[in-house]
Amino acid sequence: MSRPLSSTTRGGWRVALRLARREALRRKAQTALMLVLICLPVLAVTAAAIVWRTQDVSSAESVDRRMGSADALVESAGTTRVAQAFDPEQGSGWFGDERDESLELTDVLEVLGADRAAIPFTRDYLEFRTDKGLGSLETISTDLGDPLADGLVEPVDGAFPPGPGEVVVNQAVVDRGQGIGDTLTVVRQTPDGEQTFDLEIVGIAESAWSTGFEFAAGSPGAFGEGDPLTTSWLVGGGPVAWDQVRALNEIGALATSRAVLTDPPPTSALPPEFAQDDASVDQLTITVLALVVVMVLLQVVLLAGPAFAVRAKAQARALALVVAAGGTPRQARRTVLASGVVIGAAGGILGVVLGIGVAVVGVPIAQSFDTSRFGPFDVPWALLALVAAFGFVSAVMAAVVPAVSASRQDVVAVLSGRRGEGPPSVRSPLLGLVLLGGGIAGAVLGAGASSGAGANDMGAVLIAGSALVSVVGMILVVPVAVTLVARLSSRLPLTLRFAARDAARHRTRTVPAVAAVGATVAGVVALGIAVSSQEAANAATYQSQLPDGYGSLALSPDTDLDAVDEILARSVGADRIIDVEGIQTSSDDSELELEFSQHGEALLLSYWSTLGSPYAVAAEVPDHIDLPTADRERADAVLAAGGLVLLHDERAIDDGIQVPTLDGDQVTVDARRWTYDATGEGELTDLGSVDTPAVVIEMDRAAPSVALMAPPLVRELGLQTSVVGKLVRGPISEEAEDDISEAAAALPAAPYFYVERGYQPDEAVRIIQGVLAALGAILMLGGTLTATFLALSDARPDLATMAAVGARPRTRRGVAAAYALVVGGIGALLGAPVGFIPGMAISQPLTSGVGDASLDVPWLLIGMVVLGLPLLTAAAVGACARGRLPLTARVD
Amino acid sequence: MSDAILRLTAVTRVHGTGANEVHALRGISFAAHPGELVAVMGPSGSGKSTLLTIAGGLDQPTAGAVSVEGTDLVGLSPDERARMRRTSIGYVFQGFNLIPALTAAENVALPRELDGIGARQARDEARRALEEVGIGDLADRFPDDMSGGQQQRVAIARAVVGERRLILADEPTGALDTETGEEILRLLRARCDTGAAGVLVTHEARHAAWADRVVFLRDGVVVDETGSSPVELLTEPAAR
Repeated sequence: MSRPLSSTTRGGWRVALRLARREALRRKAQTALMLVLICLPVLAVTAAAIVWRTQDVSSAESVDRRMGSADALVESAGTTRVAQAFDPEQGSGWFGDERDESLELTDVLEVLGADRAAIPFTRDYLEFRTDKGLGSLETISTDLGDPLADGLVEPVDGAFPPGPGEVVVNQAVVDRGQGIGDTLTVVRQTPDGEQTFDLEIVGIAESAWSTGFEFAAGSPGAFGEGDPLTTSWLVGGGPVAWDQVRALNEIGALATSRAVLTDPPPTSALPPEFAQDDASVDQLTITVLALVVVMVLLQVVLLAGPAFAVRAKAQARALALVVAAGGTPRQARRTVLASGVVIGAAGGILGVVLGIGVAVVGVPIAQSFDTSRFGPFDVPWALLALVAAFGFVSAVMAAVVPAVSASRQDVVAVLSGRRGEGPPSVRSPLLGLVLLGGGIAGAVLGAGASSGAGANDMGAVLIAGSALVSVVGMILVVPVAVTLVARLSSRLPLTLRFAARDAARHRTRTVPAVAAVGATVAGVVALGIAVSSQEAANAATYQSQLPDGYGSLALSPDTDLDAVDEILARSVGADRIIDVEGIQTSSDDSELELEFSQHGEALLLSYWSTLGSPYAVAAEVPDHIDLPTADRERADAVLAAGGLVLLHDERAIDDGIQVPTLDGDQVTVDARRWTYDATGEGELTDLGSVDTPAVVIEMDRAAPSVALMAPPLVRELGLQTSVVGKLVRGPISEEAEDDISEAAAALPAAPYFYVERGYQPDEAVRIIQGVLAALGAILMLGGTLTATFLALSDARPDLATMAAVGARPRTRRGVAAAYALVVGGIGALLGAPVGFIPGMAISQPLTSGVGDASLDVPWLLIGMVVLGLPLLTAAAVGACARGRLPLTARVD
Repeated sequence: MSDAILRLTAVTRVHGTGANEVHALRGISFAAHPGELVAVMGPSGSGKSTLLTIAGGLDQPTAGAVSVEGTDLVGLSPDERARMRRTSIGYVFQGFNLIPALTAAENVALPRELDGIGARQARDEARRALEEVGIGDLADRFPDDMSGGQQQRVAIARAVVGERRLILADEPTGALDTETGEEILRLLRARCDTGAAGVLVTHEARHAAWADRVVFLRDGVVVDETGSSPVELLTEPAAR
């Protein structure tokens, strides 16, 4: 330090960078901490970017799995003319007339040149017989021995390619119980009924497209023919140019060309229908992305801030000496900033390198969770350069505030060994309050703009922007909050009082840590409110079809009841099956219509049922319909009198249907039948009209039928009855549900098995919630831990003094826990209300689409974050901190 | 002299091992009795500060015995030694060593609070101790807002609060001007006159004049031990 800093900027930076590098090497533990804080986000984003890019299969990367070694996959579209994007999967349109006769290969080769090799190729989604019933199956049928098909299928074991009557299957099929030598029965549902194909399994092969999903491949026609109007071929014989693709479109064929996908023509070559797709830049996505990047940057800066503050303070004496020896404040500032430059450069590069390493390990792990095959290992270098730059910028920004305070430090105070900082600024908290007000205003505007009439995308941007503004406002309020807590701490126990006062005395270290915790808590609270509100809205609008836990199987008259009973009895036991006798409402060519009316006015009723008919026939209310005794007696009385019970449930109420209160009043039942001829024309026949006593029973839960009709009433109307469905009393395990569904799929007309499990939150939402909670906890813990341990190293002299006057060794633990509690507690208390601003705002547009906008505040989550996490962190810090006090008697 | 408050018997302290071995103290025996202020003098590196840290239980002797008010410090656990510092031993340092985040009263109350007594009682005791050292009106000030002399008075109040009977002072006037330094020594002397034992490490002969006895250390051994009169001889060994 004795050499004066160079007067030129470049020279000044050289000296500053050298000092920063030396300092980084000298304080290795602190440097490691700073590197970790900068490195980790860079590493995480790098690894995630690589896994995402590898998992994401581009059109060019998907060529082999889609067309093997062919030059093009040509599909007849069923119309006389089509249009397509470069990749028809990303956009295609049907024009012209419906084709009368199928497109032939000769038509295709007429366009492409007659000397090209071509083989028929079909990819289908069919079913196959399993031990329990029917399972889904992805199939490929083509000449697998032809070089054009190379790469579509990967042979693993046994014979390949399969000949006529033979098939290769993948491991997933083998896992379902059928191996080499067994017969695979493939089922194709057609309008004329079910076709089955018995094929001998000769080998095991995996699809190049997916793993894990049941797959079989056979020769052309092995699995029957689909719609003859939509056939497809693999075509070889050299590149197929974009002009040729357009020419194929003109005769009604879509073409996926290897040459076009790997080297696309300019977008100007696209047909006008698809031209604007590529040209439009999604302004909203970019804006939201920019806001997210800024928020993440802010969080990293806040987390790393304390470490830079402590380093700057460690250099304070040296900097004071520089200034005393004639250095300028700018030179002092530059010296601290250089720490950010050195750590940022090292952290950015290190993060990218380590991130690539993590991705190398992570890609196979991610693949094992995904049935779609990933593309080749893909490192997006340009993106990674941005990510590294992000790390660099965050480190430099983290050093800015310490650098500015270093340049403004009171040289005399530093040289005389006083360790505190001056009183906090009064202006910045005022600005903070203004920003918080602005945040609230923005959130209110955003909520208004993005919900209700005239909703637009600007609302989301406004809300995200208001979140950012609110968090910045909160950061500006933190110094005052920290000072206030210190002032109020005089009645607190010693360790807490010490921690609170010390935190306030070292604000450049404390404020970013508290702000990092606050920002994290704000984020968790905002997302928590948003997700809870959305879930609450979804749950509120959920309409159950059956009593909770019940299952139902809707049956048609020709269903084999014995087979159904056997399937159900096997999985859930015969004693839980309830037959529901009902009126047959529909057949192949007719439809029954029942109208209930009073004084000539039709009664509007719900008509949904998971059974084969909404009208059940019963002499008394069945046991499975849960009614209060009084209601049951009323209903039974009407049924005994040969009448009608209308079950009015929440579904009808939700539809806004008003049903008059009937209690034995006379109601007219009109029965009519619509009969349809071959052209679909309907004819209405009156079947009869009967006046009968009726009662309306309001149910507080779903009724499995809309009406219960007494047998004499049905007879009088001349209606036919049959078993319209089976109810299964719960509980029904997921396994039993799967078994019944699979078995029922194999029955004629494949009756659908429905199990009422109430509202089920989306699994993805739960995973996202879990990840967010974990991320929040990690960030909060990270922010608190770094601040605490940096504070402890700063407080070494004070701890030594405490030891000298008789502090127990464990006092250090107490002080550590108190620091964590102060940092975590203040951050959480400030962050939670700030999180309400965007949280409540975003709940509006999220929930307004599904009925009334609703707000559900997850108080338990907020309580855990605000009270639980700081206490937990304090306990963890207290347990982890070293218990030994520094034994220095003479500390200067 | 079994009523000595501090007694060191054949205390040896060796730092490091092998080639790096340094003998800070070599078989020192030494006692301080109630009402007695003992000055320890000697050149830099003579072992004065080591003597003080061992007497206060902040460091352990390699060999020998240390007892404070009849309790053998060597045999105690770190927790028990810490308790001795809270209840029997008070430290005064050259650099004051006040905790800047705590007020004067809180600094003085620190050993009592660490000892687990109620905050109100600890503060009452601290205020009394501050009044005894003449700065009762500064109880709510923070150390950064006090002069060096005021800070050292706070440190002395902290060393005596709770009726502790052994005061160990390591160059307590080193950072003070002459007049303030004399004030501090007068306080120490007064405390000893009320029955405490004091050990004052100093290198200034005129401070030794406040002591009842002067112990002179050189290279870790007591080279002379005398009453207060021939102090000049001790401070200028070359003149002997």
